[in-house]
Amino acid sequence: MFTLPSVIVMTVLMVFPLGTTLYLSFYRVLARNRFRLDACEDLGGSCFVGWKNYTDVLTDSEFWSAFWFTMKFLIVTVPIQTVFGLAVALLLDRVRRGRALYMAALLLPFIVTPVVGSVIVKDLFENNGLISWLYEVITGETFQLNAGNVDWAIFIQAIWHVMPFAMISLFAGLQSLPQERVEASAIDGAGFWRTLWHVKIPHLRSIFMFITMISLMDAYRVYDSVFIFSNDRFDNSRSLQMYAIEVAKDVGRVGKGNALSVLTVVGVMVILLPFLWISYKDQIAERA
Amino acid sequence: MTTSQAPIPDVTTPPAEVKVEAPKRRSRGGMHRETWYDRLGLHLVMLILVAWSIIPFTWAFQNSIKFVRDIIGEEPKLWGYEPTAIAYNGFWFDDEDINMWYPLLFILAFATVAVILGQLGKRARQGAPWYLATVAVLAFGVWWFPNLFDTSRSYDYFVNSLIVTVLTVVISITIGCFAGYGLARYTGVSGAVILIVALGFRALPRSAFVLPYFFAANRLGILDSRLVLVLALVAVNQPFTIWMLRSFFMDVPKSLEEAAIMDGATRFGAFRRVIVPIMWPGIIATALFTLLLAYNEFLFVRVLAVTNFTLPVGIEAALAAEGPQLFNEIPAASVSITLPIIIVIILFQKHLVKGLGAGAVKG
Repeated sequence: MFTLPSVIVMTVLMVFPLGTTLYLSFYRVLARNRFRLDACEDLGGSCFVGWKNYTDVLTDSEFWSAFWFTMKFLIVTVPIQTVFGLAVALLLDRVRRGRALYMAALLLPFIVTPVVGSVIVKDLFENNGLISWLYEVITGETFQLNAGNVDWAIFIQAIWHVMPFAMISLFAGLQSLPQERVEASAIDGAGFWRTLWHVKIPHLRSIFMFITMISLMDAYRVYDSVFIFSNDRFDNSRSLQMYAIEVAKDVGRVGKGNALSVLTVVGVMVILLPFLWISYKDQIAERA
Repeated sequence: MTTSQAPIPDVTTPPAEVKVEAPKRRSRGGMHRETWYDRLGLHLVMLILVAWSIIPFTWAFQNSIKFVRDIIGEEPKLWGYEPTAIAYNGFWFDDEDINMWYPLLFILAFATVAVILGQLGKRARQGAPWYLATVAVLAFGVWWFPNLFDTSRSYDYFVNSLIVTVLTVVISITIGCFAGYGLARYTGVSGAVILIVALGFRALPRSAFVLPYFFAANRLGILDSRLVLVLALVAVNQPFTIWMLRSFFMDVPKSLEEAAIMDGATRFGAFRRVIVPIMWPGIIATALFTLLLAYNEFLFVRVLAVTNFTLPVGIEAALAAEGPQLFNEIPAASVSITLPIIIVIILFQKHLVKGLGAGAVKG
């Protein structure tokens, strides 16, 4: 069986760690004795704490702030980057000369190291940065990243970073649209918007699904950019994953960190279950 | 996910085909004929979009060649400043008096040799020995560099990045090829289940794995090593690799390996000698994305490495150390980290676009 090595890797390195995370989320874990689980029995008492880690998480206001931040991030960035990507793809589809060059330039934000992308975009917002300078020139007031506007800076960075992905995918889809269909609709007198709505968008339906699914996945677990923008500075703008890592790295709260991770996983599965189910159906249908 | 109603032709249109299509596209937009100012407007909009994409990079580049005093002035100086390599010196070297022309010359010399060897390999009938020589020359250069110049920790991070990236790509593509091939050919329910579970894993946040890795690595004494990073990256990258390679393998007609098996090859032999060679473009596209994933990884490295960082965490560590030198050293670091990626785009743009398009349409 050719799949064996891969399945082994996924089982040992993914299923097993996941199981461990789930297991640890019911325990009190002490950092001493190299994280042995029986360590707290030496102190008297059991390490098994039942649902306590979970109730700790759910009553934690910082968790809810991270949760709402992540939701806001999802709701703002995913639709904007998809629509923006569609617009750019439509334009790119019309460009004939220099398309490769435009594509290279537009792809750059997507494949650059996310940390670096965040750092350089953040620099534009900081003092002496381009955006803060332009803001000063236009409004006459100084611009300062603060707890109120940092969310939007993060969203802008995210859109800047992920839009090329939507663009390239949709562009590939547009390229595969049979030219006759566009011509036929033009002959029927359909204008730009009607062609877009009745011919192009239906053709791109499956690609929209794909982009939405991938962007939801990636937006849900956003870490790098949020970390660069708000670590140690804006505690109200932390993503779920960032908060999970923060808690888990704090030795006293390892169990709680695990519970948080489990809840995060449950959350992403709730969001993605419909998509996974449709994919599964597709796979089965394809085979039949 | 899968192709919609109409049978979709191959999206991965190579430029040649686009040119053939071009005359047909003239009628686009209905009765209305495209005029020169339409085209001008289109290119203007495209240029604005390009600006939106690359201004952060040009801004960082400008700052990276300025003295700090030119950055923190009343208003940013766009021109008329004195260029300097002091920031690059600060980030990459421990020796302040180093003449930056020497390392630059060193890098240029090795790059030239590598390009020449690569071009020779492209022209030669048997490319492999030439490509091996290219890799050997580059590896020698990377090894020799710190013996000649007094490099800082950043150089160690760079070497870590290099080793982790290469190992991750090699291992995950090798395993992924087998799995992708198997799943493309095997048509049973368990195949579909593996694919969907893999897709589910693709969605999981890193935080769900990283703690067990941390504990296990701590127990095994491999925390802070490159090995644990490679293992973790191969694992999280496996689902993506399988999906992408599978979609490429699906395009290979079954009759090819059947013919090979008829001629007496074993199944594995047919796979290695017949399928893999014609799959190279797909494998390269997948390898590129794996490469980017490994090179760009931040979270795993931040948790699993204590001192042996790779470059992305290196820049974060540099950010944590405060001081006026940050104003130009961080941009210099950003530019340095981005440079290899720009080279990758220039060399492999076609493969990247192809990979993204294939992922989307065949999904």
